[in-house]
Amino acid sequence: MSVTTETAHWSTTAEPRPRITEDWLSVWIGLGIFALALAWLWGVDLLGWVVSTSVWIDPGKALGTISKTYEQLGGPGALAVTYLALLAVLSAGATVLNLDVRRFAIAFTAVFAFAYASWMIGSYAHVAAVTPADQQKFGISWSLKLTNEGGYVVALLAGLVIANFFPRVAEWLKEAIRPELYIKIAIVILGGFLAVTAAGRLSLATSLLWRGIAAIIEAYLIYWAVVYYIARKWFGYSREWAAPLASGISICGVSAAIAVGGAIRARPAVPVLVSSLVVIFAVVEVLILPFLAQRFLWQEPMVAGAWMGLAVKTDGAAVASGSITEALILAKSATDGISYQPGWVLGVAATVKVFIDIFIGIWAFVLGYIWTRHINPTRDQARAAEIWQRFPKFVIGFVLTFAVGLVLALAAPSDISSRLPAAIGEANTFRVIFFVLTFFSIGVLSDFKKLWQDGIGKLAAVYVLSLFGFVIWVGLVVSWLFFAGVRPPLAS
Amino acid sequence: MPEPNLQHELRNAPPEPLLPIEKKLIGWSLGIGVALLVILVLVSRFIPASL
Repeated sequence: MSVTTETAHWSTTAEPRPRITEDWLSVWIGLGIFALALAWLWGVDLLGWVVSTSVWIDPGKALGTISKTYEQLGGPGALAVTYLALLAVLSAGATVLNLDVRRFAIAFTAVFAFAYASWMIGSYAHVAAVTPADQQKFGISWSLKLTNEGGYVVALLAGLVIANFFPRVAEWLKEAIRPELYIKIAIVILGGFLAVTAAGRLSLATSLLWRGIAAIIEAYLIYWAVVYYIARKWFGYSREWAAPLASGISICGVSAAIAVGGAIRARPAVPVLVSSLVVIFAVVEVLILPFLAQRFLWQEPMVAGAWMGLAVKTDGAAVASGSITEALILAKSATDGISYQPGWVLGVAATVKVFIDIFIGIWAFVLGYIWTRHINPTRDQARAAEIWQRFPKFVIGFVLTFAVGLVLALAAPSDISSRLPAAIGEANTFRVIFFVLTFFSIGVLSDFKKLWQDGIGKLAAVYVLSLFGFVIWVGLVVSWLFFAGVRPPLAS
Repeated sequence: MPEPNLQHELRNAPPEPLLPIEKKLIGWSLGIGVALLVILVLVSRFIPASL
């Protein structure tokens, strides 16, 4: 597997080399969105028209603009403007990638329609509403309780249906099925969002520093090493498969699998297949772990929150689990006459997850360095330039947006920093859209019959063994070691 | 772009035994991880969380 992704792709086609790689393109698009969002800090709302979806029971109220500045557009108007803006930017990207722009534009139109429709379905109250209060608010008696992040699963399933039952449609969509591009743009934008999240909870984050460090040690040093060993030694996977798989299971799901897959130059489909497993198992975790926490950890709410941050993969699923866990535990505690302040269990889950996220780029760099210098060197002696050539460039974008976001949050004058969450919120709405496009694209790339033949079941076996036999329980032990006896303040 | 075929790869790919550098990576990761975890647990006993 010494052939790098880009070399393999471009050397096996008659197409001319692109003027820019997908990796760099993702950096520029991500940074562009981030920079435009920051104009809001100086009172110029350039991205407030981006469409946002709320949990809905009345479809007429599902869509809207993210900012009130553009609310006169209405939901459908916001959706149309968002589509046109993405079409323009990504078609320009297709031009510099030397793709067939007309084919890309037509295919992207369909991809966007399928993906956003899936996201809307995932926000339907019967799918997304989590708490009894939510259900009461929407006047419904049942819900799948998937949160609106269930839209990712719907998008994945929609893609899977197309891939498996409508292969001609999948072929027609191919030009715009670019999960790597979409996820890397999303990760660049995510840097700024994580900075604001960390800065917004700085006092909590400071007092939880030891816990965060422990989480990093666990996820990166202990989880990763054990899962990598299991995948390589017990299941016989090659290094190309084992590294993204270990990263997906042990660190932060999709982002880590993609980052490490890029760093070690695995073929694009490798982290994509791992990502599809990550999503499925993250949803399983969301549906099981909060209820286990309520049953067995209701007297240790902070342990339960940290456990969600450590054990549930993908940001959305982890934070959703923290939220559900908080609702369930506070409800149970209240029946016992204990009324905790809300927000602390969720805060611990989110903080632990953020600490883990921050180091994805560094871990990808460490593995990329080891792979390119010692495991998969070219015929020539590995040179520093070669390391740079193989370095995942989107990590630079991620670090840049994180650094700028953190500096603005902590050092900018208060009249500017107070607008930062809203500004980043606009960029983050694009991040969610790119995530949805990614999941739909992953689905379209996943022909189930082929995957079965290809032995995806064995990948799933590694995942099940590692996640349910090791990761979840070690996460529980570590959470207990650091958070047992620490309880949220009581509600006044 | 070469498509991965897991079953084919596992059946036909030459075995990839753990290289010394991989063993080092796993060993050092686990060793540092467990050692730091013990240290942090001990430190946290002296510096209780102030939530």
